[in-house]
Amino acid sequence: MAVTIATGAVKTKREGTLGYLLPALLLIAFFFIVPVLMLLMRSVLEPEVGLQNYEALLGSTTYLRVFVNTFMVAGVVTIVSIVIGYPVAWLLAIMPEKWSRIVLAIIILSMWTNLLARTYAWMVLLQRTGVINKTLMRLGLIDQPLALVNNLVGVTIGMTYIMLPFVILPLMGVIRTIDPAILRAAALCGAGKMQCFLRVLLPLSLPGIAAGALMVFVMSLGYFVTPALLGGTSNMMLAELVAQFVQSLVNWGMGGAAALVLLVVTLALYAVQLRYFNSARGK
Amino acid sequence: MTKPFLSIRGIRKSYGSVTAVKNVSMDIAKGEFMTFLGPSGSGKSTTLYILAGFQDPTGGDILLKGQSLLSTPSHKRNIGMVFQRYTLFPHLTVGENVAFPLRIRRRPQAEIAERVKAALKLVRLEGFEDRKPALMSGGQQQRVALARALVYNPPVLLMDEPLSALDKKLREEIQFEIRRIHQETGVTILYVTHDQEEALRLSDRIAVFSQGEIDQIGTGPELYSNPATRFVAGFIGDSNFLDATVVAREGGKAQLSLGNGAMVEGVPLHGPSSANGKASLMLRPERLSLSRASVPSGIAVTVRDITFLGNNIEVSTATAAGVDLAVRLPFGHEAISSLARGEEVWLTFDTASAHAFV
Repeated sequence: MAVTIATGAVKTKREGTLGYLLPALLLIAFFFIVPVLMLLMRSVLEPEVGLQNYEALLGSTTYLRVFVNTFMVAGVVTIVSIVIGYPVAWLLAIMPEKWSRIVLAIIILSMWTNLLARTYAWMVLLQRTGVINKTLMRLGLIDQPLALVNNLVGVTIGMTYIMLPFVILPLMGVIRTIDPAILRAAALCGAGKMQCFLRVLLPLSLPGIAAGALMVFVMSLGYFVTPALLGGTSNMMLAELVAQFVQSLVNWGMGGAAALVLLVVTLALYAVQLRYFNSARGK
Repeated sequence: MTKPFLSIRGIRKSYGSVTAVKNVSMDIAKGEFMTFLGPSGSGKSTTLYILAGFQDPTGGDILLKGQSLLSTPSHKRNIGMVFQRYTLFPHLTVGENVAFPLRIRRRPQAEIAERVKAALKLVRLEGFEDRKPALMSGGQQQRVALARALVYNPPVLLMDEPLSALDKKLREEIQFEIRRIHQETGVTILYVTHDQEEALRLSDRIAVFSQGEIDQIGTGPELYSNPATRFVAGFIGDSNFLDATVVAREGGKAQLSLGNGAMVEGVPLHGPSSANGKASLMLRPERLSLSRASVPSGIAVTVRDITFLGNNIEVSTATAAGVDLAVRLPFGHEAISSLARGEEVWLTFDTASAHAFV
């Protein structure tokens, strides 16, 4: 969640308000920047001075596999979240307000429900004798239960579910700002439903898609609970690797290096989003 | 009689128990500028939206060149429309906005470029192709919207209060442009407005809407000089209303008693032909004359206020019964010099210029 805090700081920074921001900046400095720097230091100082931790991390196929898993899962989760979240956001934006409030309340309530409870619920649903496999077998669609849990499939399903609100909310915000009269104008210009969507609605909701996608991708890269519970032991993700280094192996150097790689990727993505989507909106 | 170009036949629209449009029918000739004039909620916009295909009527039909439009969805009606709000696509440049309908129609690139250029020239925005809509004024945006609506040569152009967001001076400027464009292109225009001055300035004919129905269709001068209903009389031009009683009637003209013994004859009477009864006498402020000497057939009034309005002067008066009557006199009228508040004067009028409504 560090990224969202940083976003807030950047957006509210205007001339003359720096004084008001000082407490927040100090908080971030002491509780975020300093610990990160300390971890960075440990990654180049332990067990001895040098870049050997990074060499080990980036040079080994085992660790590379973890990176590939992480990016792949985060990418698939992002795409699926947007594909599922877009129609939901669109419906929320156009449905009468009394209904949209109820649906929104359900979505937000699910966000407030304990993460562990929600993840365990998915374990129950996805396991070999779970509701999903049983239903599919009863319908005769499959003969053998599908392996839906303790692998990356389970991780992807569970994380998509958890990330959905983070694409739905910003997308709904953006779609609500689009004047329906613009879509009517497009229709009279000759654009059918598909053309209206592809040529007008989609380009106009791009800032929301970008914001939601970045949020989900970045959160997914560093996500721990769901991969730890729904994933298998063989297919680790980056956060699990960091936890393993620090907790089981007590190797702060390697743990720090892995965390730093994650941070650099995150900041780079954020910079790309700022550069391309904020400047496009400004003009 | 030849087939009308555009025919609206008995259009009705209700939402549950609320009826927005009751029974609207009219024929519009090719190249005509027809304005729907009326207050908000009178059904004029709903009728236009039904023409655009955004709403389905509860009953009735719309025929364009003899073919019903109702089963055709909006995007296949090939109708142009300019909206009340700014509806340019914000992510596209001016040129791309105007090109949009042609791109959808998959016209060749060279033709698109040529027609976009011609359309922007028509609205006098040549050289603005690469501008983003957000960087343009409201008036410019509406002109681009007009270019976008005309670039595919639609047979009918709908305009839904396109100037209501603009200030008065700009509005008049663009009204002039719309007239010029109408003359240059010969497109049939259906224009919705609640502004009578705008309607009079632009239209060939005006349909006055009131409570979901058309009260009267006619040219501006027709509506002004011969209003069919009290509502039309009140909506087009300025008007005074005076309670009167129908004493006798003959061939569309009535003899009216105005109380206090004042009688007028030969006033055009509108409304159902019930013999005697209450009526409203409509008097235009600019058709009233003011006399300081007692006139037997005149209306005795007291001067309340005198307002200088530039080219004319408005004298506010009130009858003994407390009904306000405004009189508009040309600047320099002899009766006005030394006219004082509280003075008793007499108002007279040409009975043919007055109208009575039962």
